[in-house]
Amino acid sequence: MKDNAKPRRPQSRGLAAVWQARLAMLVMINVAQLWILSAAVEAALAQSYGQLAPLVIASGICWLIALSIFLWWRPAGEGGRRY
Amino acid sequence: MNSKTFHQETINKILAADNEISDEVNVRSASAPFQAEFPYERDSEAQVTRREFCNFLFLTSSALFLGAAGFAGKSAYDARSPKTFTPAKIDGAMTIEPGSALNFAYPSEEDTAILIRGTDGTYAAFGQKCTHLSCPVYYSQANDRLECPCHNGGFSSKTGEVLCPPPRPLDRIELRRSMVRFCSQKRGAWQ
Repeated sequence: MKDNAKPRRPQSRGLAAVWQARLAMLVMINVAQLWILSAAVEAALAQSYGQLAPLVIASGICWLIALSIFLWWRPAGEGGRRY
Repeated sequence: MNSKTFHQETINKILAADNEISDEVNVRSASAPFQAEFPYERDSEAQVTRREFCNFLFLTSSALFLGAAGFAGKSAYDARSPKTFTPAKIDGAMTIEPGSALNFAYPSEEDTAILIRGTDGTYAAFGQKCTHLSCPVYYSQANDRLECPCHNGGFSSKTGEVLCPPPRPLDRIELRRSMVRFCSQKRGAWQ
């Protein structure tokens, strides 16, 4: 394909949207983890220790998703630009 | 340099900078005194980028995970640590009036408990932590039951059985004359 056949648009196009999406997902994960933490506190105070392990696992899964967003879910054409 | 001089200099600096920002001169002039008291530059506000905020959110996620894991681990450790139930005397147990209660600690100083003398003169003792969220229960003479003020939980003052919301009965403490010995929270364990 020739160079002049490529679509002419700024390289930064769409990057802001991707960053917004990452932010939104991280915020939702944080909210979920806050809920999990409060549920864990409640379960511990009620001495319902059987509920603690699933809650910690759920929080860990949320953290893994956050880690994957943080490390890998980046815009494909992103350079060193800061937003 | 005193603070008044410093503020005036800051105001002058802000006003001088406004000459270069023609569309905000009026706003900046009007708010200059406040900017002197709270010198936060608009350019500085924009320094928190989305990337940095993402980093912050990831760190928050890590902290929340570690917090949940740590809290659960601590609770599980505390639950598994063995407790010794040595008989102990309850000071003042014989002197309380019928229809009243006395607080004491058993088996350790951190484990608060409540001794109840019913209107018929019988004694009963329970751990004071509500089984819902560990709020301290108190004896309600009017209703002749143990009540939790946090969520209006109620327990029988004779057996510790649940009368409303909480999930299970109170921890029971076996009494022997003026001595106490921890029994267990199972209802069938009362002797």
